[in-house]
Amino acid sequence: MLPERATETTAAGRIVWDRFVRLFHWLLVASVAGALLTGFFGGYATYLLHIGFGCVVAALIVLRVIWGFTGTTHARFRDFVETPWAIARYAGRLLRGGAPTHIGHNPLGGLMIIGLLSVLVAMVGTGVAALGGTAKDGPLASATSYATGAAIAGVHRLLAFSLLAMIALHVTGVLLESWRTRENLVRSMITGRKWKRPERAAGSAPETTRAATTVARPTLAAAISFGLAALTIPAVVAASRWPVLGVPVAPLDAVLVKECGSCHSVHHPSLAPASTWRSVMAGLANHFGETATLSSDVERRITQLLAENAAESWDTAAANLLRRPNPSEPLRITATEGWIGIHRGVPAAVFASKSVAGKVNCGNCHGDAEAGIFSRRAINIPMEKFP
Amino acid sequence: MTGRPMWTTRRTICTGGNVVAACLGATLALAAMSPAQKAIYDSYATTAKTADAAFTDFSASRGQAFFLGQHAGGKPDTASCTACHTTDPKKSGRTRAGKEILPMAASANPKRFTDAADVEKWFRRNCNDVLGRDCTVIEKGDVLAYLLGL
Repeated sequence: MLPERATETTAAGRIVWDRFVRLFHWLLVASVAGALLTGFFGGYATYLLHIGFGCVVAALIVLRVIWGFTGTTHARFRDFVETPWAIARYAGRLLRGGAPTHIGHNPLGGLMIIGLLSVLVAMVGTGVAALGGTAKDGPLASATSYATGAAIAGVHRLLAFSLLAMIALHVTGVLLESWRTRENLVRSMITGRKWKRPERAAGSAPETTRAATTVARPTLAAAISFGLAALTIPAVVAASRWPVLGVPVAPLDAVLVKECGSCHSVHHPSLAPASTWRSVMAGLANHFGETATLSSDVERRITQLLAENAAESWDTAAANLLRRPNPSEPLRITATEGWIGIHRGVPAAVFASKSVAGKVNCGNCHGDAEAGIFSRRAINIPMEKFP
Repeated sequence: MTGRPMWTTRRTICTGGNVVAACLGATLALAAMSPAQKAIYDSYATTAKTADAAFTDFSASRGQAFFLGQHAGGKPDTASCTACHTTDPKKSGRTRAGKEILPMAASANPKRFTDAADVEKWFRRNCNDVLGRDCTVIEKGDVLAYLLGL
């Protein structure tokens, strides 16, 4: 048995969703879609774009929360945030039939809004922490270790999947409620209008009119927004510029650059553990097939520099990924599990191309290779290699 | 002989067989050398003279043959200097690891042969890879004569 439906229709309808709510909703759709697409499929090339989408999502949520306390009637949290008991009661009535129609969100819809906002807040938070720990970038770079950042990145990924599930549930709920109330709710989120009035019969309490007298306070909302922006944006910028422990800053020794760099791109000492460097330097008479012997004082100096600044001394992604040698090829950085894993998406043709000239020449794609940073921002694969 | 300039310096162009014969040896090369290059060249010449009193001067044409020639005893992938430096010493070559090697000819790269330790380092490494042994002082001096006079 289908529930009774609202049947009363007004000609012009009424404005339920104000302009901010509508704009917020569709900008959020766009930025979340962008963040999900770049996050799942974008790779290194959309790194900054993904961060940008995340920033837009964060800003939208802050504005929406402010508007939730200062906005028009149905924009306010108190219009649609219900107690668990009230939500359960509504869900029961929905299943049995005869649930009331709401002008704004129904209690289940309200729960979904809170759920979506919470997951997005968590995604922004875990995203910033993962960025700080693994890429040593952003406001938490100086406060997050690589290990913590990598663990949080895993949570960020799980949250992304739960967000996908919630989006599916949200769209399903909107379609079902549209069918139940004979009101196109997607169109309502575009026009802001609803034409059907809630049913007042059957003695059901006018649940939808709780906040009917609310007056919007846009000036207050704008003042709070500007105040928050004035406080937080400089703080975020300042935190992002804070010196980061575990990231090399000093330029490499000139002798090391000259001697190692005359045959291949200079490898920062952080790219291998001290034990690997000592073995490499002890075997220069046959250095991956080449004679690369040095005078003994130069050899001693370079060995010491490499060992003292080896992977154990740093917390960059490269140092963490390359710290464990491959036992079957302990001297080859490109044989480590970490190196292979991070380069899995790079076609063999790229390494074979003339401008990259092999896996040994990190600097041909990584603009900051010599500094040992390996930011995704500094990756620039020469385009000639892509046929 | 083709009549084409065989080597060029800032001051002299030697062409043709008879002129080559007249120009052969250090006279021409020395004319184009910087003081640092001359010091290195002279030090190899002194060593050669010490070893063999009959030694007069290094030979650029012998150096050219050595530089362009195929050698046995070294690594099969690098049987010649040209494996990395190419057959035109005025052009850049490429290391086995893919990095550019600036031209070997002093006329194309004035910084060549200005650091004695560097010159020795590369002869030590490359002779081992190409020939499987150290080069003799005559071989080194001949190559220098060829590349400094080119």
